Amino acid sequence: MSKDGSSSFFTTKLDAFVNWGRKHSLWPLPFGTSCCGIEMMATLCSDYDMSRFGAEVVRFSPRQSDLLIVAGIINLKMAPILKMVYDQMSDPKFVMSFGACASSGGIFNVYSVLQGIDTLIPVDVYVPGCPPAPEGVIHALLALQRMVAAGETHSQKRLLAAKQA
Amino acid sequence: MLEHIELWQSQVMELKEAFGESILEVRMPGDFPVDVPVIYLEKKHLLEVLRFLKERECRYSFLSDITATDEQEEGLPWRFEVVYQLFSQISKLRIRIKVRVAEGETVPTSVPLWAGANWAEREVYDMFGIVFEGHPDLRRILMDQRWVGHPLRKDYALKGFQIFTDSQSIDPSWLK
Amino acid sequence: MKVVDWSKEDPDDLWGNASDERILVNIGPTHPAMHGALRMVAELQGETIEKSYCEFGFTHRAKEKLGENRTYHNFIVYTDRLNYCSALINNVVYAMSVEKLMGIELPERCIWIRMICCELARITDHLICIGINAVDLGAFSFFLYGFHQREEAYTLIEKLCGARLTTSYTRIGGLMADAPEGFEQELQAWVVKTLAVIEEMDRLLSNNKIWKKRTVGVGVFDKEDCMQYSFSGPNARAAGIDFDLRRDQPCMFYREVDFEVPILKNGDVYDRYRIRFEEMKQSLQILQQCASRMKKGPIWCEDKRVRIPDKDVVHNTMEGMIYHFKFFMQGFEVPEGEAYTQFEAANGELGFYIVSKGRTQAHRMRIRGPSFWHYQGLSRMIQGEKIADMVAALGSINIIAGELDR
Repeated sequence: MSKDGSSSFFTTKLDAFVNWGRKHSLWPLPFGTSCCGIEMMATLCSDYDMSRFGAEVVRFSPRQSDLLIVAGIINLKMAPILKMVYDQMSDPKFVMSFGACASSGGIFNVYSVLQGIDTLIPVDVYVPGCPPAPEGVIHALLALQRMVAAGETHSQKRLLAAKQA
Repeated sequence: MLEHIELWQSQVMELKEAFGESILEVRMPGDFPVDVPVIYLEKKHLLEVLRFLKERECRYSFLSDITATDEQEEGLPWRFEVVYQLFSQISKLRIRIKVRVAEGETVPTSVPLWAGANWAEREVYDMFGIVFEGHPDLRRILMDQRWVGHPLRKDYALKGFQIFTDSQSIDPSWLK
Repeated sequence: MKVVDWSKEDPDDLWGNASDERILVNIGPTHPAMHGALRMVAELQGETIEKSYCEFGFTHRAKEKLGENRTYHNFIVYTDRLNYCSALINNVVYAMSVEKLMGIELPERCIWIRMICCELARITDHLICIGINAVDLGAFSFFLYGFHQREEAYTLIEKLCGARLTTSYTRIGGLMADAPEGFEQELQAWVVKTLAVIEEMDRLLSNNKIWKKRTVGVGVFDKEDCMQYSFSGPNARAAGIDFDLRRDQPCMFYREVDFEVPILKNGDVYDRYRIRFEEMKQSLQILQQCASRMKKGPIWCEDKRVRIPDKDVVHNTMEGMIYHFKFFMQGFEVPEGEAYTQFEAANGELGFYIVSKGRTQAHRMRIRGPSFWHYQGLSRMIQGEKIADMVAALGSINIIAGELDR
């Protein structure tokens, strides 16, 4: 980095290369709780293959994955567990809020449902739908890939701010 | 369903002969807007009646459901109705038993008859606050253990959120 | 050096009592083998489960309370999300339960289409159940075969109602829309293809030595236990209980179609897997009969209380528009009374107990989900089994979190 804080040619080219690698090998952590879990499985299966975009290796451990796909309802009972799983992932980590229930509580505005996971963790992509069609999920994945390449996700911005500070 | 009315009537007659004084009311389909005979009982003979129905000739041995209803109405001495739905695999008929309780009153548990009643009664306790005496392990089941209030009561708000910052811990004594 | 004859010695015994200590393992809510969000805490001695504690409630969405706060028509959307692998069955049972309270008679075509929906949903549920059971034990491509047929079924369902998973297809007193032209022929073609695929899946796995070793004799739940824990559906039939609500308390036109009820006797994971194959074949037979006997006709009942007016009436007449507005904003009133409606869902006995006080919203909407009663039996089923067997047993009883927690 140069004296005024801006990145040099080589750092930005390196960043771009690293981000290119990152976006084409996202390792999802499927946090599927309810109906959206089935559509997530449909997206990962052979008809709407998500492995075409590099997101094939599903790892059920937060230590080994970088994309947290929250598919399904998050309860007030489940919320601390979601936070725990999110905290255990290492940077850079991306969050996809899959479905209406994860994005905003969906059709369930009741005493036991968290009205959107963005009250708890920073979300990068929201996929609307109840449940979203697999085409919508793939669209969201491509949007997330664009964000990762441009360094616009919450996690990457946080890392950059930490580096510059 | 009205074609089974005679069989039901004979079963209810048998029940009345055995437990006449505990049966408060019987509503038969046709006279009342119900689909199966509904028998309102006093709670002290609940287990005997259920055992009678389970083991006698009518053999209502399949416990379909245990639930409760909050009939919060002014001026009534009772508040909740605990509902038992039974099914007979031999005669292919159903019957419903109801026990009326006031707030704070307890109901005898039917776990000695059906082991599956364990969780159903825990759910009734969790949702309504009705205590089942003699239950081996009466704790909340759907809600967090630290939840205050009973959600399905009529005075509990639909959006009554209660936030917890950590997940509930398990007591080793709960393992069976 | 001691030479061990492994055919005679049990590896657990060789260690003697060296590891007498018990370990508490939390198989947490986010675990690949726990379908949805189920939690189990097990006390292990070596690999054997001595005691366990099953917890759920992580997907509790308060549908019963919502049933008291939404009109009967609005509640149809919530019923899809109960057993989401076979959403059409939940829609049909809910519509049947409100129609029972109101005393509504349905036209023939509506009933035939509802039966087709139920059997289609049953097949998709069984495909996913045995697929996930296989995935948990390592057989991944078996799952992909079944899931592809499920996608083909989704195409059919999409033709019917526009949605793949959460259909909301039935209405009180009718259906959302009629089956399109050519639906029966496509259904017949799908039936033929699915039968071939099921037989291929059967050949793939059923006589596989590894599969048999992992599933035969595992998670045994006999007749007596099933009656104690109110097991129903394929789990009970695999143990020998002759109980099928389609035959014992028939509704719709189940009296007029020929089908058999398969019963097996061991009650282990292998039997629960096999019985789902047999049930799928029977469901395919029912589908063929329904598709060939269905005739053209109306799909809405004539009861003015629930009949949603057609769009041309709504847009062109004042009365139609007012009625449409009042129907969707206020809802219709259901006469006072109570009823418990049951049906043989894919998992077992699905029941709706509705108490109505004559208003537009139910006083009590109780949903009897079969997975609730089945999950209770799991602790007893896996006592003394190894932890790997717990995974097999859990997959075989088909716990759907939507039905369990409601």
